[in-house]
Amino acid sequence: MQSNINMLFKAIADPTRREIFHALVLTTSALSITQISTQFDMSRQGVTKHIKILNDAGLVKITEDGRNRFCFADPKPLKEVNKWMAFYSQYWDDSLDKLDDYLNTTKKA
Amino acid sequence: MTKTITKEKVFNHPIDQIWNAITKAEEISTWFLQADFKAEAGYKYTFKSTGENCSPIIGEVLEANPYKLVYTWIVKDTPATTTVTWKLENLGASTKLYLEHSGIENYAGETAIEMFNSFNGGWDNCINGLSSYLKEMVNAE
Repeated sequence: MQSNINMLFKAIADPTRREIFHALVLTTSALSITQISTQFDMSRQGVTKHIKILNDAGLVKITEDGRNRFCFADPKPLKEVNKWMAFYSQYWDDSLDKLDDYLNTTKKA
Repeated sequence: MTKTITKEKVFNHPIDQIWNAITKAEEISTWFLQADFKAEAGYKYTFKSTGENCSPIIGEVLEANPYKLVYTWIVKDTPATTTVTWKLENLGASTKLYLEHSGIENYAGETAIEMFNSFNGGWDNCINGLSSYLKEMVNAE
């Protein structure tokens, strides 16, 4: 479970991957690797690498039709509330650490 | 089912110093998020980030009496309302802080997509701490 959350965070940490995912969410049909690389002006290898990470996170599903691979978005992992729990849990841990740093650097006169 | 995050942390600082840090706009803006905030029930606050295209956090102060602070927490343009509660307990030389974030079950379903779209605007860069966490995740590959 924990590693799934890490893969999801890793997948959405990159702005290009967010854009690719967003494009797939908006399009009603699946897109091929070629279509994505044209749309994002990126090499097929670059697209394939991003798609693999999105696929690992469960955000993109891939179907093969002959020599072509088609990708479509699957937003289900984002809808799992436990992922948001993990996200905010980490967020508050980080924020309280920042509060501690702040208190330690501001000595009351 | 309700989903609530609770955190406890002891700070080696007097209670009033921590109360000021979580209720005064200029202090919140220093360690947390750029704040238009008043510790008065009914005040509609805004927490902004200095990053570009960031979705601000908005909400209303529900309770603000030493040493308990409660406000709603909404990522702007998303429909989910959550609630954040801060409580401080005096331990003499140190202070115990309780933080509770409830209502996260409201992020279920379609809301999650809208939340994601606010990420798309760079929300991860907007939130302190998260971006460094994400970097660790990416570098750990």
